[in-house]
Amino acid sequence: MEALNNLDFLLNTIRKIDNDQAKEYSFGNEQSLEENLAIAFINPKDFDKLNLVPSLHLKISNKQRNIVVKIEKDDNIQEGIISMPVSIWSNQLTEILKNELVYKNIVVSVEATREPILKFKEIIQKIRGIE
Amino acid sequence: MELYKYLPKTNCKECGKPTCMAFSLDLLQGKAKVDDCPPILKPKYKKQYEKLKQLLGSEEGQEKELRINVDEDLCDGCGICVTICPVNARYCPPSLSGKAPEYPPEKHQLFQVIGGKCELLNLEHCRRLDSEGRERECRVCETYCPREAIKIEYV
Amino acid sequence: MKRYPCSGCSLLCDDIIVKSDGLFIEEVIGACLKGKERFDQVSAKNRITSPMIRKNNELTDVSWEEALAKTVEIIKNSSAPLLYGFSNVTCEAQKAGMDLAREINGFIDSNASICQGKILNKAKSQGINLTTITEIINKVDLIILWGANPAETIPRLLNKVLFSRGKFRMTGREIKTLIIIDPVKTASFRVMGVRDLALIIEPDKDVELIQMLKEECCSVDSIPSGGVAGLDKNDLKRLLLHLTGAENGVIILGQGIIQPHANYDLIEELLDLLQLINTRQVKGRISLLLLGGHFNMAGFDHVALSSYGVSGKLQFENKKLVISEDTIISKINKENFDCSIIVGTDPISHLPHSLSSKLAKNPLILIDNHKSATSHIADVVLPTAITGIESSGLVYRIDQVPIELKKILNPPNNIPSDEELLNQLIEKLNGGAK
Repeated sequence: MEALNNLDFLLNTIRKIDNDQAKEYSFGNEQSLEENLAIAFINPKDFDKLNLVPSLHLKISNKQRNIVVKIEKDDNIQEGIISMPVSIWSNQLTEILKNELVYKNIVVSVEATREPILKFKEIIQKIRGIE
Repeated sequence: MELYKYLPKTNCKECGKPTCMAFSLDLLQGKAKVDDCPPILKPKYKKQYEKLKQLLGSEEGQEKELRINVDEDLCDGCGICVTICPVNARYCPPSLSGKAPEYPPEKHQLFQVIGGKCELLNLEHCRRLDSEGRERECRVCETYCPREAIKIEYV
Repeated sequence: MKRYPCSGCSLLCDDIIVKSDGLFIEEVIGACLKGKERFDQVSAKNRITSPMIRKNNELTDVSWEEALAKTVEIIKNSSAPLLYGFSNVTCEAQKAGMDLAREINGFIDSNASICQGKILNKAKSQGINLTTITEIINKVDLIILWGANPAETIPRLLNKVLFSRGKFRMTGREIKTLIIIDPVKTASFRVMGVRDLALIIEPDKDVELIQMLKEECCSVDSIPSGGVAGLDKNDLKRLLLHLTGAENGVIILGQGIIQPHANYDLIEELLDLLQLINTRQVKGRISLLLLGGHFNMAGFDHVALSSYGVSGKLQFENKKLVISEDTIISKINKENFDCSIIVGTDPISHLPHSLSSKLAKNPLILIDNHKSATSHIADVVLPTAITGIESSGLVYRIDQVPIELKKILNPPNNIPSDEELLNQLIEKLNGGAK
């Protein structure tokens, strides 16, 4: 029996025409960037299993780092998979293997949380090593 | 189609239409009423009769217009509707060999991609208005749109 | 009416009608949403039209002389510069970038090495069957999408190849079979018809499918009854019959299939499978089409091969080409560089944190035309004209066909094109040395 709060999922970073990072950089602002890109899609059954409600956020962690994002239900995703659009948020979790980049099927654990989503400027500071 | 399911499907032509499919389309468009079908008034079709009355409700008999809605927020300008519309395809346009459609658009071209989005040009030549039989149930543009942005409705 | 090529994605449709009065773009007809957004970049809100230098942690507008002087200063103070990007620029600019790398003894690589370039690299030992878009339109009767989702990334691709009636496939959609292999039901599944096959495979189990297909290449009788990788026996039988019975098939590969694995190499297994099918088939042929993002991803390898005799990345020492086992990933990972010049891409947003944080530690010069995550940490930002609208040049399509981009408008503030800017840098570095 799996523990209900921390389940092992597979993370896929995907491209979606509505959630397009390059479009937000050219035409949007930091708020629209965060609204459209700091998001994860999950199967409705998994949504219920994790005791999620729309006002909660989802904390996704791999061995080194974690990220908090908004969550949305999507019927087309299989159970056990989470999809995130390619963005500076999802790249906190992507990995390197044999000198190549891993963008799909990353093993992660997830839990519901009330922590806030990191803003764009905060992630930039994190990447520069300034906390 | 939902309405066709509840008709006798005998194609007896007593309503004046060649097939039950054509009659169901007239029902949808408000050009006919359920009572115009003599066989359905018989007792053995009572359940279907009541179901049809319920489905049509107060809109039964009210003339409705065909409208094809293209949702601007969902459309991504892929142009599949332009290529696949059977009305346009009959004239062997360049989009059928993978090239861009003619500009200015031909008179039988129903859709056009402009400014990154699909636009409906004119509805007159749509098969749902112009032809007979099975072709009137044409829903090709709605079925193959990858973003489900096209909706066919009667208002 | 005059038609222009569109540089929105790597499909490079060359049939777009652009109405312009020479100063602004008024209307774009025939391009999909991604193409329209590319044409909109001319007047985008976040476009950069003047060079900037970071002073007191803020980017400030400066003159071209000051920006170029600062760039030259950063380069001269470094001994192992890194050049990366080059997939949003023309072939002429890629050549100028390689000449610049030679001048400063740098390491240059393009986005292709983390995308479709990987497949072409592996194909060097095994061979690969490629095809062009026109061949697919006219001759293909089987299309397989493996790990690719063109409905969201290249909107017009399915329109062109699936719904068209080619010269030899006059019945068009009815005679073409579409098979999609993907663990998620993406938007591309909605164009399927009754004859098509949807295979929702279990995530990360593609290798089991490939190995089973290799073993059963000619016989459908010994497919395991429990199915493989979450697919059932009947679907597998149909897949195998299509693969071996098609007259002319194409497999379109996307990001899903080029992921690395610890114990095996998925790309090599796939290329082996294709070779097996092609040698066993009596009259048919299966070829590949590699999807990529930026519009000139395929061009870098061609330019490197024709200018320097090596395809792919280039490492220079003492102004001469040397053999190097490094890739852009290993260079950044080992922190084997002390400054970077990024051209037309946004690595801080696209690379994993462990790499982008290392990139951010050293001085960074960005050559791009809009704000991005990389511009937020760059030390110098040099804007250039938008290729395909404000500057012309040669680019290569996803199927390795060259297309000539045209100039429609003049760039604002007389901004140079990428090629002109890189050549200016080479001149300044040469002039300074003397």
